[in-house]
Amino acid sequence: MDSNKKYWKGLEELQQTPAFVENSKSEFAEPLPIENVLEGPGLEKKTPRRDFLKKLGFGIGAVSLAACQNTPVHKSIPYLIKPEEVTPGIPNYYASSYNGQSVLVKTREGRPILIEANPAAKLLNCGTDAATQASVLDLYDTNKLKDPKIGGRETGWAKVDKAVIAALDEANASGKQIRIVSSTLNSPTALSLIAQFTAKYPTTKLVEIDSVSYAGIIKANQNSFGKAVIPHYRFDKAEVIVSVSADFIGTWLSGEEYTQQFISKRDYKSLENGKMSRLIQFESGMSLTGSNADARIPIKVSEEVPVLIALYNAITGNNVAGAIGSDNAKAQKVVALASKELLQAKGKSVVVAGSNNVAVQSLVNAINVALENYGNTIDLDNASYQYKGNDTDFESFLNEAKAGNVGVAFFLNTNPAYDYYDSKKLADALEKIKTKISFSDREDETSVYMDILAPNHSYLESWGDGNALTGYYTIVQPTINPVYNTRQYEQSLLIWSGSEQDYYDYLRAYWEQNILAGTGRSWDDMLQTGFEYKGEVAAQAYSFNGDINSIAQQALSFSKSFAKDVEVQLYQSIALRDGKQGNNALLHELPDPISKVTWDNYVAISPAYAKSLGIVENDVLKVTGENGYTVELPVLLQPGQAQGTVSIAVGYGRSKVGKAGNNIGKNAYPFAKIVDGAQVLYTTAKIEKTGDSYILAQTQTHHTIEGRNVVRETSFKDYLHDPAHGSGNHGTKHKTYDLWNKYESPGHKWVLAIDLNACTGCGSCIVACNLENNIPVVGRDEVRRRREMHWMRVDRYYSFNVEGNEVTKEKELASLSGEDLDDVSVVHQPMMCQHCDHAPCETVCPVLATVHSNEGLNHMAYNRCFGTRYCANNCPYKVRRFNWFNYWNDSRFDNYLNNEFTQLVLNPDVTSRTRGVMEKCSMCIQRIQAGKLKAKMEKRPLKDGDIVMACGSACSANAIIFGDLNDPNSEVSKALKNERVYYVLEEINVQPNVGYMTKVRNTLEA
Amino acid sequence: MSSHNESIIREPLVTGQNITYAKVTNDILVPVENKPNKAWWIGFTLAVLGALLWLFSVSYTFWFGIGAWGLNKTVGWAWDITDFVWWVGIGHAGTLISAVLLLFRQNWRNSINRSAEAMTIFAVICAATYVVAHMGRPWLAYWIFPLPNQFGSLWVNFNSPLVWDAFAISTYFTVSLVFWYTGLLPDIATVRDRATGLRRRIYSIFSFGWNGSVKTWQRFEIVSLILAGISTPLVLSVHTIVSFDFATSVIPGWHTTIFPPYFVAGAIFSGFAMVQTLLLIMRKVLNFENYITMFHIESMNKIIMTTGSIVGVAYLTELFIAWYSGSEYEMYAFENRIAGPYWWAYWAMMTCNVISPQLFWFKKIRTSIPISWVLSIVVNIGMWFERFVIIVTSLHRDYLPSSWAMFYPTWTDVGIFVGSIGLFFTLFLLFLRVLPGIAIAEVKLLLNGPSYQQKLKLAKEGHQDPEQVAFLQKSLEKFDTVSEEEIKELSK
Repeated sequence: MDSNKKYWKGLEELQQTPAFVENSKSEFAEPLPIENVLEGPGLEKKTPRRDFLKKLGFGIGAVSLAACQNTPVHKSIPYLIKPEEVTPGIPNYYASSYNGQSVLVKTREGRPILIEANPAAKLLNCGTDAATQASVLDLYDTNKLKDPKIGGRETGWAKVDKAVIAALDEANASGKQIRIVSSTLNSPTALSLIAQFTAKYPTTKLVEIDSVSYAGIIKANQNSFGKAVIPHYRFDKAEVIVSVSADFIGTWLSGEEYTQQFISKRDYKSLENGKMSRLIQFESGMSLTGSNADARIPIKVSEEVPVLIALYNAITGNNVAGAIGSDNAKAQKVVALASKELLQAKGKSVVVAGSNNVAVQSLVNAINVALENYGNTIDLDNASYQYKGNDTDFESFLNEAKAGNVGVAFFLNTNPAYDYYDSKKLADALEKIKTKISFSDREDETSVYMDILAPNHSYLESWGDGNALTGYYTIVQPTINPVYNTRQYEQSLLIWSGSEQDYYDYLRAYWEQNILAGTGRSWDDMLQTGFEYKGEVAAQAYSFNGDINSIAQQALSFSKSFAKDVEVQLYQSIALRDGKQGNNALLHELPDPISKVTWDNYVAISPAYAKSLGIVENDVLKVTGENGYTVELPVLLQPGQAQGTVSIAVGYGRSKVGKAGNNIGKNAYPFAKIVDGAQVLYTTAKIEKTGDSYILAQTQTHHTIEGRNVVRETSFKDYLHDPAHGSGNHGTKHKTYDLWNKYESPGHKWVLAIDLNACTGCGSCIVACNLENNIPVVGRDEVRRRREMHWMRVDRYYSFNVEGNEVTKEKELASLSGEDLDDVSVVHQPMMCQHCDHAPCETVCPVLATVHSNEGLNHMAYNRCFGTRYCANNCPYKVRRFNWFNYWNDSRFDNYLNNEFTQLVLNPDVTSRTRGVMEKCSMCIQRIQAGKLKAKMEKRPLKDGDIVMACGSACSANAIIFGDLNDPNSEVSKALKNERVYYVLEEINVQPNVGYMTKVRNTLEA
Repeated sequence: MSSHNESIIREPLVTGQNITYAKVTNDILVPVENKPNKAWWIGFTLAVLGALLWLFSVSYTFWFGIGAWGLNKTVGWAWDITDFVWWVGIGHAGTLISAVLLLFRQNWRNSINRSAEAMTIFAVICAATYVVAHMGRPWLAYWIFPLPNQFGSLWVNFNSPLVWDAFAISTYFTVSLVFWYTGLLPDIATVRDRATGLRRRIYSIFSFGWNGSVKTWQRFEIVSLILAGISTPLVLSVHTIVSFDFATSVIPGWHTTIFPPYFVAGAIFSGFAMVQTLLLIMRKVLNFENYITMFHIESMNKIIMTTGSIVGVAYLTELFIAWYSGSEYEMYAFENRIAGPYWWAYWAMMTCNVISPQLFWFKKIRTSIPISWVLSIVVNIGMWFERFVIIVTSLHRDYLPSSWAMFYPTWTDVGIFVGSIGLFFTLFLLFLRVLPGIAIAEVKLLLNGPSYQQKLKLAKEGHQDPEQVAFLQKSLEKFDTVSEEEIKELSK
């Protein structure tokens, strides 16, 4: 109803006075007295009573408006000009290399987040070990040097260059020596650069020294064969392997490569062909290799040589004195059996020893020559350059320095103040050097002695190359711009040698002139492939030079020197290795494969020996070495540790490495010594109780299987007779009845197959999983409370062989004598979410936060979870992990991600979880999704192998196979058709999607 | 209810002489209408301190996360759910007394139902706090209900016992509260009528305009009966559903069909023990001895003994079934309870719950007030251990030995539990200050029937069989509120 009536509000409006017309244009008829209020007199004015409501209203309004901003603003700047090669959300992979292994570095939006082995690599194409995986976290370490330093004060590179060149010139002028002390340097370009540097400063010499030395092998090969190299071992060609204290699938030389070789003779494919190698291990401490051995005989450190002599005698028929006698009857018996086996497998066997003593290694060489292994399983012509450190070189460097002959010393990737056994000798020597320059990326133990700190880039920021094996050259290329004001040491050396060349140009020129010449491949090809392989040289057989009797006597006297007090074996732990990555929280939290201890080293001692000394679990011991060095360390009762011995890991006890790693464990390097020019990680010690107790943070505290069939095993003999032996998988199944409807998976059905015979338990999958899935590190105290967050773990079970029976039950074990605990078998079982089709977790979640997908996956919707933890309780596999705290933003967890810089390591494809939320293995759903999208973009069906799990890609043993069960040709489908396949806890009918293959032991029959 | 004469051999439910309606009102309203005495203040101070401890511990947990508790990757529930089930169980006696005994016309309930129901409500409040507090993200607790939400079809999981639990507990709380409040109406009106000023206005509002007319009383009786009918199934269903939290899982030691009856019996057992704990103190401190008599105490002890025996049989049945099942996991779960690292918890449970109530076979013991009180506490300790045993010892060693772990409580766990007892007593002591602790109207019904003075009157009328009078005299001997003269007087 329209009305044309117009009501006027006053005469002014009716008359449309000019003043009214003017005022009606603005919103308020009268000007607001804002100025009056806000200016001087206005502010002083008393607030009248009538304004009370006004002010109240304004106040509440203003406060509520201010409070409306409920989301904090994160400063994220989009690309103004998009770099051509960067598409947000799409990772870039760069071929690079780490320790000579060709790797792919996954970068997202310009930051490296994951290291994977280069699948195209020709050599070392195994998985990546925990240290390699975790190295990406070192890039984001806030404890690194941010600027170069002179005399402890931050400065610029120009001043550093001036100071260094002055020092070099002075040394040159006064004829003083210049030394570059480095860990093994196998970069051909860097070596050439050092040669150029030496040309400028002729007194320069490179001194290579490794924290853990393999010089004994090199010297023994020099003595025995005239070739001062570490040979390339070929465990994939060996049918019988005898190892005396060599942890060759763990930390000895090239563990991942050897794992791949070793397992290729033992995995499901090999077993299907009816082939399996046999490993016989003699050792004191339980190593990773020992835990995977078919027969493992605990021997004392001082019995290593007698065992080798006995082996030599049995193989050659000689009668060298000093063979192991009846005081270790078991070892004696096994030596006899082993030698028979070795002789049968002549040319297809290998004997290795972990000792770094020249005589011991010479003895091993003699055995291998007798077994005709050179040219077959041991290749001296395609040598390894992974460890070239020479202890005598370093000793003579120290002597020269002490004599005052060294003017300038550079320290590269080496930290003798931490890992050299004689700190006084080192300090005395360093004192006499006028100018000491360190390339260390942080102020470490050695930096205390340094005059100039010229911090090196991380390898992820550098150009470089490597030559780990004969004819195999790998590229290191930067994947991120340098974060701090650091400079790669090669560039520094170039500048100091007076060149203005960029190291990139130098490197490229060197490759183009030397490595790529004549290959037809260009530098750009290298950047894509990451390596150049010249091919294998034909391996030759070698004959042994030397007097075996005198070698044996020399070895024997070395050995006998340890036959007193408590024999101590020092070893590298799988996670921390030599301790270089001591500030890496991921490695500290990686449980030891055997002891499952995190965040500490300890004294491993056998239960019986501990009992005889009155030592119990959690005691703290004072260990006094023969050189007088003492440490106090907690006890770990280790079944299988030889009586009369203890094992202590080196690599711990860093004092100046960073927030996460400082004072974790104790330093055991000072126990080491130099014998015959090679570092020896054995000593003897007295141990006494301090009366203190200390609880180690273990991720597993119950160590036996309690007679349950969650781990199923058989012997190789039984397996040959019946492949389904031990697995219970005889084709037909009981009829089962279900309360629940069957889940249909019409498209894909993602499953895993895990080969227990392939898994060595090393745990690199755990680190890969942590990085891929942004799993928080929780620290020692939280691990003690059994709250580690690892989505995947490797369960380790001991079983004890007592008079032919397997004892695994707690109560039966309690009645065993100590000696019975020596004969221990170990099994490693990777365990992660089993993605049950009838998942117990799914039915109990009140809010449907965990549900099943039609691809057979058990999903976890973090945003929906409100944290009743019922799912975790109801999980029979106990694989669900709860965020007890906000690990990202809680100062109590300050060793990992509580800063924005380190958070750059996070994988943006995976949500980081808040406190109060459950999480678990998603079967890398982000990788599945990425794989599916890629196939879709390329308009093709998904192929087997397009998608790999983070854990599987890290695994050198191919123990974790992922794929689509609905594809009958996929590797996993084929693997799961194996008779060895069983499902853990299949009897409770939760219908897990992870199949396990029985553990097969190639036991030694008398 | 009954105005006709009761058989003389029945024991009186109200003792003392010259008990008039006015005296009942006066006696019961003493704590409501007067300033609190010293005993109350001491108790209240302790209780409030406890409640503050609760507040602090819960706030600490909310601030830092559930990690403040001693839980771990293997044991995801421990003290939290133990305490929750313990409190829910305690609540059961109130409903049983108010509803089931009403339907069965057990008029001895009249003098204990009020406090028992109050206990139920406060116990359920304590239990409900755990439902929220144990969540990782408690601010999302409302997601447990099927509320409409912005996510479209996102709904709760009706397969999950926790959803049933939320329904069961909330229904139980609502019905108990309504039942309790309905029963309170005539008594609030009584307080109102005697009060002045502001108190009168407040009680007036809360009495919902009760006018004492016949129609009001009739409706009151009908509503009580209907509510009793609604509550009765709840007595069985609530703890049945709580037991489903465990029974429907796959964990050995939880996955048990016996749980529903076993939990219900256990709940009544612990509930009566708690009623006993409270009333024995209350009758002494508030001088309610004539209304809560030895007959009540003995009856409750008999119920404790019966339900305790049921629980004991359930424990033994569990052991038998574990052996009979042939399932190694099930067998191990029970072996581990008996002789594993938590053996002491199992044997504490066995001693407190199975052995100690058997003492009530002795009349001397079940009519001894101090022993009854001590045993009532022993039973509640035992019932706490029962839940601890079920939850922690089943979880800490389940299928894969690699994950076996121990649970050690932190100060927060202890603080929340001890604090919740403080919270409970704070509420209970406040209740005693503002509302009559005994149902005045319902006790008045007893004066002309099962009361000592009525028995005395009947005896004096002389029409009673002397043998029956002698029987009554004998049964009155245990009463602490009936003197020897009063017993003799019956046969004069």
